[in-house]
Order: sequence, then structure tokens, then C-alpha cells
Amino acid sequence: MDNEMTLTFVAISENEALARIAVTAFIAQLDPTIDELSEFKTVVSEAVSNAIIHGYEEDGQGLVTLHAKREDDVITVSVMDKGMGIEDVSRAMEPLFTTKSEMERSGMGFTIMDSFSDQLTVISKWQEGTTVTFTKKFYSVRMPVM
Amino acid sequence: MQFQLEMVTRETIVIRLYGELDHHAVEQIREKISTAIFQGAVSTIIWNLEGLSFMDSSGVGLVLGRMRELETVAGRTILLNPSATMRKVFQFSGLGKWMMEATEEEAINHVRGIVNG
Repeated sequence: MDNEMTLTFVAISENEALARIAVTAFIAQLDPTIDELSEFKTVVSEAVSNAIIHGYEEDGQGLVTLHAKREDDVITVSVMDKGMGIEDVSRAMEPLFTTKSEMERSGMGFTIMDSFSDQLTVISKWQEGTTVTFTKKFYSVRMPVM
Repeated sequence: MQFQLEMVTRETIVIRLYGELDHHAVEQIREKISTAIFQGAVSTIIWNLEGLSFMDSSGVGLVLGRMRELETVAGRTILLNPSATMRKVFQFSGLGKWMMEATEEEAINHVRGIVNG
């Protein structure tokens, strides 16, 4: 049975953990390995932190929507904000590029999201918002059905 | 997020991190760590990551920020016992060469060896 969920929360940093926990619970059905799970949590954390920090500058008012879908062994997660958008997406995706170096942001978010997922799509419109979508197939270690 | 700071020598501080290190957690602890570093004559930071269950790129920012603060004293950084996922994150970020698999004691002795030898 496939599954789907939507979670919407305000743009404050404590909700980064909330998003990770929700996705962890959502994919538990697939019995992910420890590495699969921790890599996927990292991707979620990067995407949600970006929405909170860059999309809304942690204003505590803007809403971040996380949508997750499971089809067989494939999980697709979208993280959507209606914040300020990304001026130049390809530049933002370069390793070590950051607009918030004063906040000690490393500029590694998109590199990590790209490396730890099978497919990554970033759609952004300046002053209108950003949607980051990533897909991952879980191989997991399954017991054979007797 | 919990952490412990221990000055093991005048120059070396061990920072033990526990729980989940994300942007939220980093914002809570950065000042305290930074202050501790500036109070002593610290030139080496050993980040003990053994008790850390999760870290994203915010952790990289925290480490890089402290490396920058130690630049003037030619500081050294050791990333002790990161998980498999953290190892990859540090590799992507160019911090792979500072990682070490050892006990805290071995790491401290390693640092002493570099200083004295």
C-alpha cells in the first residue's frame, strides 16, 4: 500500500528536528538501513533549513510545507516555501556557495542533497518561493517472505 | 543538544557533542564554544563526535567557523570518530583529511606528538 503525507509548519529552527522525525516515521515501513536513514534525514534537514533560513530568514511566520510520498520502495519528498526565492539556482547549487557566510552557513546544502538522493529538482522564483523535490529508492535489508 | 568542553592542555580543547547537530543546535552552542576558545590559548580543537547521532551541513559551518578563529595561531582540528554519513559530509566539504578514528587519549597524544616532534 502506498502512502502520502503533508506537514506544514512555521519557519523557526526548532521545526528542523520536527521535519526529520516526521520523515523518519514515514519511511519506517521500508525498514531502511542505518545509513539510508541517516543520509535521507540529512537531505530533509538541508532542504528544510534552507527554507527556514533563506526562504523566510527565520521570521516565524512563513509556512514551510513538507510533502512525502511512498510508491513501492521509492520515497519522494518536496519541501516548499513561499519565501524570497533563489536568484540564481545554478549558482546556489555550486559547492561552498552561500549568501549567508556571516551566519557560518557552509554552502554545502545542495551538494549534500544531490549526493544523498537519486534525483534532485529545485524550482525557484525570485520573491515567490522555492520548491525542492528529491527522490530516493530504498534497498533496505528485507527478510525474504517464507 | 548537549555538549562538554574540556581543556586537556593549555593549547588543546576537547569538545564532545551529543544528540543532533543541526542549524537550530548550532545557534544554541556556537557562542559558548567560541568564548571558551578565546579564553584560553587554544590552538587545537578535538571534536569528539562519537555521541552525535545526527549532523547536517550546519556542523560543517560550526567546524569551519572555529578553524577560521584559530587561523592566526595556526590552529589544528581533529574530527574524532564521525559516523559513516558524517564522514561523507566532511569529505564533500574538504574536511576529510582532519578525520580520525581513535580514542580521545590517542587523539590527544597524536596532537602532542605533532607539537613536540
